[in-house]
Amino acid sequence: MLDPILDIFRGKAVTIPPLDGAFRPNTLLDDAPAFAGLTEPDNLLVADGRLLASSGNAIYRVAAGAAPVLVETFPAAVTALARSPAGELTVGLESGRLLIAGREVALPAGIGCITALAYAEDGTLWLANGSADHGPSQWAADLMKKGASGSLWKRDPASSEFRKVAGDIAFSYGLHPTGKDVLVSESWRHQLIRFDGATGSRSTLLAHLPGYPSRLSTAAEGGAWLTLFAPRNRLIEFVLQETHYRNDMLAQVLPQHWIAPALASNRSFLEPLQCGGIRTMGIHKPWSPSRSYGLVVRLDREMRPQYSLHSRANGTRHGICSVVEKDGRLFIASKGGDCLLAIDMASEGHR
Amino acid sequence: MSFRERLQSWRYNLVPDHLVGEILSKRWTDNAIPFLALVATLGVFGSIIPGFFKPMSLQESTRQLGEFSLVVTGMTVVMLGGGIDLSVGSIFALSCFSAVFVFFILEQSVWLALAASIATGLLFGAINGYLIGYFRLRAFLTTLVTFIFGRALFDILVTTYAADVQLSDATSDVLDFIGDDTFWGLSVAVWAAIILAIITHVALTRSRPGWHVQAVGGSRRSAHNAGIRVRRTVFMTYVFSGFCASLGGFLIACRLSGAGPGTGLNLEVMALTAAVVGGVSLGGGRGSVIKGLMGAIIVLTMTNGLIRLGYGTGTNQMVLGIMLAVAVTIDIRWLKNRHKVLDEVYVAPVYLKMATTQSAAPGSGTPYELDNRLSEADHIGLGELEGPEDVILDRDDHLYCGTRHGEIVRFFAPDYKRSEVFAHIGGFPLGLAFDKTGNLISCVGAMGLYSVSPEREVKRLSAETSRSWTSIVDDARLRDPNDCDIAPDGRIYFTDSTKRYDAHDWALDSIENRATGRLLVYDPKEGSTKTLLDGYRYTNGVCMAHDGKSLFFAESWACRVHRYWLEGPKAGSAECVIRDMPGYPDNINRASDGNYWMAWLGMRTPSFDLSLRHPDMRKRMTRRLPQDEWLFPNINTGGVVKFNEKGGIVEAMGDLSGAAHPMVTSMREHKGFLFVGGILNNRIGRYRIAGADPNWTSPASYWGAKP
Repeated sequence: MLDPILDIFRGKAVTIPPLDGAFRPNTLLDDAPAFAGLTEPDNLLVADGRLLASSGNAIYRVAAGAAPVLVETFPAAVTALARSPAGELTVGLESGRLLIAGREVALPAGIGCITALAYAEDGTLWLANGSADHGPSQWAADLMKKGASGSLWKRDPASSEFRKVAGDIAFSYGLHPTGKDVLVSESWRHQLIRFDGATGSRSTLLAHLPGYPSRLSTAAEGGAWLTLFAPRNRLIEFVLQETHYRNDMLAQVLPQHWIAPALASNRSFLEPLQCGGIRTMGIHKPWSPSRSYGLVVRLDREMRPQYSLHSRANGTRHGICSVVEKDGRLFIASKGGDCLLAIDMASEGHR
Repeated sequence: MSFRERLQSWRYNLVPDHLVGEILSKRWTDNAIPFLALVATLGVFGSIIPGFFKPMSLQESTRQLGEFSLVVTGMTVVMLGGGIDLSVGSIFALSCFSAVFVFFILEQSVWLALAASIATGLLFGAINGYLIGYFRLRAFLTTLVTFIFGRALFDILVTTYAADVQLSDATSDVLDFIGDDTFWGLSVAVWAAIILAIITHVALTRSRPGWHVQAVGGSRRSAHNAGIRVRRTVFMTYVFSGFCASLGGFLIACRLSGAGPGTGLNLEVMALTAAVVGGVSLGGGRGSVIKGLMGAIIVLTMTNGLIRLGYGTGTNQMVLGIMLAVAVTIDIRWLKNRHKVLDEVYVAPVYLKMATTQSAAPGSGTPYELDNRLSEADHIGLGELEGPEDVILDRDDHLYCGTRHGEIVRFFAPDYKRSEVFAHIGGFPLGLAFDKTGNLISCVGAMGLYSVSPEREVKRLSAETSRSWTSIVDDARLRDPNDCDIAPDGRIYFTDSTKRYDAHDWALDSIENRATGRLLVYDPKEGSTKTLLDGYRYTNGVCMAHDGKSLFFAESWACRVHRYWLEGPKAGSAECVIRDMPGYPDNINRASDGNYWMAWLGMRTPSFDLSLRHPDMRKRMTRRLPQDEWLFPNINTGGVVKFNEKGGIVEAMGDLSGAAHPMVTSMREHKGFLFVGGILNNRIGRYRIAGADPNWTSPASYWGAKP
């Protein structure tokens, strides 16, 4: 009864959604065999029956039992991949440029952070612009500065001009077109939102996610796969409310040592450590708070979470930004774990 | 430094926030609320009612107060034992009647009247006690029954004998003296109440039966398990309450020279309210006679004051009821939330700007540069050991270490595969050292300085030092004795890391960062302990210099090493020899080449260093987040650093993978090997030191070759 009054003086407890229900933890990602090793694989794409993966400023073709084959390199890091119904490879770059079938497409001012690209069935190209202030690789700064300047763009099949559908998105990071509409993962607000293709009006589809959602991809049996590239962490959410500390941190500490989500953690002793993450008696507790995590979620046709695949705090397959389903197998790109995983959907007993 | 930062440093370093937590952790704070209520009540009624403090008025009030306090004292004891006594009013009335009957109708002496009165009280108390203690009936219902029964009996007796009492012409000087006169300015009733209160207080706090009562009230089951005769203890509390009520009854009989229908009416409600308002817990186990007395004064002042202001009985009862409700609510809420409040206010961070440090990152090219050498160490006792904070070897090469279970474990040379529990001390044995005669001296976390003889006899050397005048928290007690070393003259120098936290909460001290660490010395000849230095941020490892003229000690949270001079021109003073390290130093020990080994328990991180300049942020962090989520220094990576006599860094090694030796709290060189311990580790590492003297041992370095 007195708590709301006392909260003014002592501060409200910072809480995050628990990993429960469809998000119940398991070790499926850490148990899965590595399909191929690749440095920081980001986007996955199936083109002409072959699996393509972007890594740095290059695209590789990946196949089982063979080293990744270099397909193409670009002047800047590849940040988004898509394939048009006509088979044209569409590539977004860190520099804010867009290439379709190797030709650069003129973009309106305001697009500089291409985080995802997706074609609807009718050939409409959707483009997620994560932030107006930062490039895709500067996502941590965008989060820690509480950025909400992302936007959603589309180009109709008949047109050659991109049109802004919506703005004020707190880092749009994934796209999943459904008919005329599109689903967007809004990372910094931990939610999936649906935008009406015609009017641009938004509705929240899935809120209170336990992590920061990134790219979406179509599931073969309907619905979608959602990746969450980093977990929510109570210390980070607390730091987001601590203006002075946060500003000093942004100004004085190197980004890799920030109290911020990460694609991989525990690699340097200069990184922050939380009490629960202390290695005790040789054990790193899997449930301890962590800045990085591996999480892939299966959404049904109504976009409700069904089940999930995890790599917990003591695992290594962290920072998953992209998955793709092909021939009954789910390919997973672990950007923080420097590898690609393949999980046989038919044989997995996790449903 | 920005203006805001300067303000922060003043705010958090000059305002003693930590005192709030220290005061709240004292048990006497329980008395604060009733005491304030007492002062407020006296103040309000004293100022409203003219002549409230006049001697005549006070004399009459205190006489009444004396009788009432006796009853409340009895009620307090019953409640401390976990019960409740609703029958005090009727026992009071019946005892009063007994005295009146014996004196006025039987015309016996006053003393016989007193005896009859006490016998009545004891009888009814025994009935209550027998039914509740031995028959295990509910205290509330049982005493309610005795209350109704006693009251009915009293009413019958009073109406039957009222006329006889009126007609009696028995008189006694003694009776008049007890009833009306004063002795040294105070009435007999007040004297009786004071004497009984003192005796009860001493008995409750300093005698076995008194402790039993509190133990039974605190937890019946635990008291039973501890071998206390619970039933008899409960029985005795009711008998005592009956006794107290009967004394009160006798006194009112003397004062009024009779008994009327109003005698003892509503007394049980008043006594209960008084005890609860005073802060005696309804749940049992918490409370004191003093609290009961404070409650008695509050209640009586309130009721008498209201009557004198012209309010009727109804208002009085209403006020009593409201007081009881408020007191019960405060009691329950406070009891339930006290530890939460304490948790929230106890950690009181201070401001500290750490100076920039040289990097220890691999490839940085500094003397502190860490490598992966420690990961090559062999392991000893993997999986068997838990928490070897310090390790030490004796002249026969056997290896000793403490564990978190309070044991000293010995591993046998030469392969260290076999082990035994050498001695059990309790606490958490931390720093170890061998003295000249082969006794193992250990700083035991949460306990003190201990010695284990070669025959395994455990002896406590010291558990306290002198108390400082200005400290609220008891700083005589050694809370976190951490490491020790022995001077050539046999004196033991040791550190007590913090005054504010117990040994297992050492990490909270890093969040708070308050400088309360001490360096102490134990003199075995006199058996005395003296504080040498105070006000360091977590004093840790101690090591005698090779020449025995000074010692090194580590100041963990400030990342510094100091030298304390035992002799020479600077004797008794300390100077900083290594400052601004990139890691937090722990134990320090001698190396065979004339240098010193120092363990790093963890590494500084930019984010934590920055948080030290934001004490407000750390304070909110401790309030708003559970402890598992708090930001810590990075103690998942430690290391071993060698430094020379002048404080220059020679080399550093670590285990960057963190798989074998994440946090290093100690290391000991012995015959060319380095033995590595960690307080949170499950093994001891044995690392071959390239180029080290294969014959050098620590006991020989301290005490010479084998005799």
